Amino acid sequence: MRECLAFSCQSRSFQHGFIPGAHLCKRVADRRKNITEKEKMDDQGCPRCKTTKYRNPSLKLMVNVCGHTLCENCVEMLFVRGSGNCVQCDTPLRKSNFRVQLFEDASVDKEVEIRKKVMKIYNMREFDFSTLRDYNDYLEQVEDIVYNLTNNIDVENTKLRMEQYQRENKDTIQRNKAKLTREQEELEELLLLEQQSNEQRRLDVLQEEQRQLQAKRKSKQALLDELEKSQLPATILLAQHKVRAAQLETEIEQQKQNVKPTSLFSTGIQIGQTVSLQPLPKIQEVLYQYKPLQIETYGPAAPDLEQLSRFGYLNHVRAAMPQDTAGGYSSALACYRAIQDAFSGLFPLKD
Amino acid sequence: FRLNIEGLLVYFPYDYIYPEQYSYMLELKRTLDAKGHGVLEMPSGTGKTISLLSLIVAYQKAFPLEVTKLIYCSRTVPEIEKVVEELRKLMEFYVKETGEANNFMALSLSSRKNLCIHPEILHANIVVYSYHYLLDPKIADLVSKELAKKSVVVFDEAHNIDNVCIDSMSVNITRRMLDRCQTNVDTLQNTIQKIKETDAAKLREEYRRLVEGLKEANVARETDIYLANPVLPDEILQEAVPGSIRTAEHFVGFLRRFLEYLKARLRVQHVVQESAPQFLKDIFDKVCIDRKPLRFCAERLQSLLRTLEIADIADFSAVTLISNFATLVSTYSQGFTIIIEPFEDRTPTIANPVLHFSCMDPSIAIKPVFQRFQSVVITSGTLSPLDIYPRILDFRPVTMASFTMTLARTCLCPLIVGRGNDQVALSSKFETREDFAVIRNYGNLLLEMSAVVPDGIVAFFTSYVYMENIVASWYEQGILENIQRNKLIFIETQDAAETSMALEKYQEACENGRGAILLSVARGKVSEGIDFVHHFGRAVIMFGVPYVYTQSRILKARLEYLRDQFQIRENDFLTFDAMRHAAQCVGRAIRGKTDYGLMIFADKRYARADKRGKLPRWIQEHISDGSLNLTVDEAVQLSKHFLRQMAQPFRQEDQLGLSLLTLEQLQSEEMLQKISQIAHQT
Repeated sequence: MRECLAFSCQSRSFQHGFIPGAHLCKRVADRRKNITEKEKMDDQGCPRCKTTKYRNPSLKLMVNVCGHTLCENCVEMLFVRGSGNCVQCDTPLRKSNFRVQLFEDASVDKEVEIRKKVMKIYNMREFDFSTLRDYNDYLEQVEDIVYNLTNNIDVENTKLRMEQYQRENKDTIQRNKAKLTREQEELEELLLLEQQSNEQRRLDVLQEEQRQLQAKRKSKQALLDELEKSQLPATILLAQHKVRAAQLETEIEQQKQNVKPTSLFSTGIQIGQTVSLQPLPKIQEVLYQYKPLQIETYGPAAPDLEQLSRFGYLNHVRAAMPQDTAGGYSSALACYRAIQDAFSGLFPLKD
Repeated sequence: FRLNIEGLLVYFPYDYIYPEQYSYMLELKRTLDAKGHGVLEMPSGTGKTISLLSLIVAYQKAFPLEVTKLIYCSRTVPEIEKVVEELRKLMEFYVKETGEANNFMALSLSSRKNLCIHPEILHANIVVYSYHYLLDPKIADLVSKELAKKSVVVFDEAHNIDNVCIDSMSVNITRRMLDRCQTNVDTLQNTIQKIKETDAAKLREEYRRLVEGLKEANVARETDIYLANPVLPDEILQEAVPGSIRTAEHFVGFLRRFLEYLKARLRVQHVVQESAPQFLKDIFDKVCIDRKPLRFCAERLQSLLRTLEIADIADFSAVTLISNFATLVSTYSQGFTIIIEPFEDRTPTIANPVLHFSCMDPSIAIKPVFQRFQSVVITSGTLSPLDIYPRILDFRPVTMASFTMTLARTCLCPLIVGRGNDQVALSSKFETREDFAVIRNYGNLLLEMSAVVPDGIVAFFTSYVYMENIVASWYEQGILENIQRNKLIFIETQDAAETSMALEKYQEACENGRGAILLSVARGKVSEGIDFVHHFGRAVIMFGVPYVYTQSRILKARLEYLRDQFQIRENDFLTFDAMRHAAQCVGRAIRGKTDYGLMIFADKRYARADKRGKLPRWIQEHISDGSLNLTVDEAVQLSKHFLRQMAQPFRQEDQLGLSLLTLEQLQSEEMLQKISQIAHQT
């Protein structure tokens, strides 16, 4: 009985493991799924000649300002003279304005085209506005214009509005042409940093390799020299060299492994350091307070700055020249200082 | 019984306690006292869960103001159920001991059907749920946003937590998803049209709010009510939504452009890898999208969905994902990479373009958790080497400890088999993959073990492909037939249903005494989360070192990032990753102190110090020098000896006083001293 049960298990276990058919089935199913997907992906085609990408893999779809698609061959055929009307919406088009369709949804191609044009005119930056709110309102206005132009709402008026704006803000537009927005600048900076660090890494690796190569060459040369000059038998020298070479090898290996040792967290605290989590004790201290300096002189007190001219001290000092006064100098300052010097030099007279 | 742990009264619902459990609780209490984070490793099957629960619950009772809530995160539904079961036992014990009614509320979120729990979660004292509820920004915002700051978060079985973090932040965009997204955008547009005709005031109201900015969210964040969300970066809360996506139509147009851009990017012929800044520059050149509106994309979409009162948000998962991607790519200039692959490596003829936006820095996802909660405990049976987790997750633990099993008898026997009987070195390294001698020796090892080991044997291979190759040539060499004389063979496949069937039959064969061998794959379903207690797994054989597939571009990018940012060498990380999976695999067999099992590492590379040193300490300390580079014959001899020893009757009395303690024994001076040596501080 037991054997019987075991046998049935056995055969079943084989089924789980080995039957390659199961995999095959799944793979076929996978492929089928992919084919349907491919069809879906490639069902975009030329609306005129009905060719699809699936039938003609080299099919190139083109799009013009109106946002309607044509394949390259149809464009060649219909616009032999360089201009003509759109098959679908009758807009007059030029052949030179056709470009390769980048996106599956041709209206996005059109929108991007329009947007680029609009952005050329509406290129105010955040710092042209006093508040963020104004800037956001401005952005929304721009968005409105793009939206209208793309969806053919009120095109005439919008175009007029654009032209008016362009006339009014000629200077700003010209000025901002070369400027990037702040975010773009940040991006550029990041890209630069990235490039630099990559370059640095590449150089480091290169240098390291060079150094190792040189070290190896040196040891080889040393061996040759020794073989030439030394009195010892060659076998010993060779053995010595082998040991040295092995040492060098391990050294190199260690250096390779020696990536910058880190013992720091990004917070700057050492790994493994025990951190006390009690708050730092507050230092109880009286705050420093400024007290005006009291100088004791043994004679009479020196006169104040204001008193100098009244007592006529200034009459004996060279008057400040106009170019001196530009820096805030006045003759009273020099005089005051000299007098303070003089008064502090007084000694009491002993009778 | 009641325990006294450094002055804290802990109720423990069992009559006996393992010494390491006591030690574990000590460390845990110190972590909580310091209000810091901890990393604790303790072998599985030594009662980690109950120690955690009883200590933290006791702590909550003793200091209700210090710790208000326990958030217990586990990985799978069965594990969550196990935790709830233990918790129930503990609560019953409390009622019995103290005699008062239970005023604790515990809540477990295991399956989708009980997802909506918003008001309750605020009051519950204990919450048990899956990692994703806390780490995945999409779900965390719904569930965990309002958890109090004074909570203790426990991540159990956390050896894979870095991968969970990375997965939760990574986005894979396929063609099919973009198509679904397209339908989403169309629906949005139609709904907007409809609402405009019927209820235009609603849209106007939203518009007014957006002009004012996202002030509400900001106030909430500043007053610390919410858990920070990595998809909603701080900077954007300070500012108003940019004017270019303020109105609903403009925003839909914006999404359309973004979508078309992604579609165009997916039409590549060869693999492209670029950084986030490069991507942003390209998107500006191609479709004139600035960085700023991209950054607001996720929040703007949420607002629109709220305004349109769309009930079934699940339908809009595609567009939500895309908008999250937009926000992430424009917010983080580092830590992410973009890889566009036109086809899978295995099938280069079938076009299947995927845009991988892959996170390389696990600390981004987990940072809000560490910042917000006062104590976060990461614990598992295999966390070695301990110091690598704080480094890759970028946090500062106050306690890091590894506990070993105290054993009355050596019930695990790790053997490293490095050579076959013919002295051919055994290894799964790439050069010898096809080597018949190695494959034959692996077969011999399995054959001889199947003759010696009773009941179940689980064998792990490094990958499905490798397993298929080996099994096929075993079949040709007739080894399989010989093995089947001893035991039945079952094989894990990539199909989940097939695998669970095989597993069921394997257990049946072990139960009825026929004995069986389960061939499975490291990193597969069996290696994580399925236990082989007692006779279901008497030996685990690990064929080769389970290195991750290193040719994957995502992995390469991540390794490079680890080297540049965290100064972790590629080899170190790869070895660490391989060894934690190997440890997981062999750890399947030992689920407790009465259990026993052989652990056979069949690859000579395991004998090297750098590999061996990365195994958990509780395995490492049983590897003697004598078991380092064995031949198949020697391994069989040692196994025979070990198994004969283990077959002797083993009663509870043998354990008492050594690896199992009563309260009196625990309180003796001598024992306390011994216990203090269990924890291995790092």
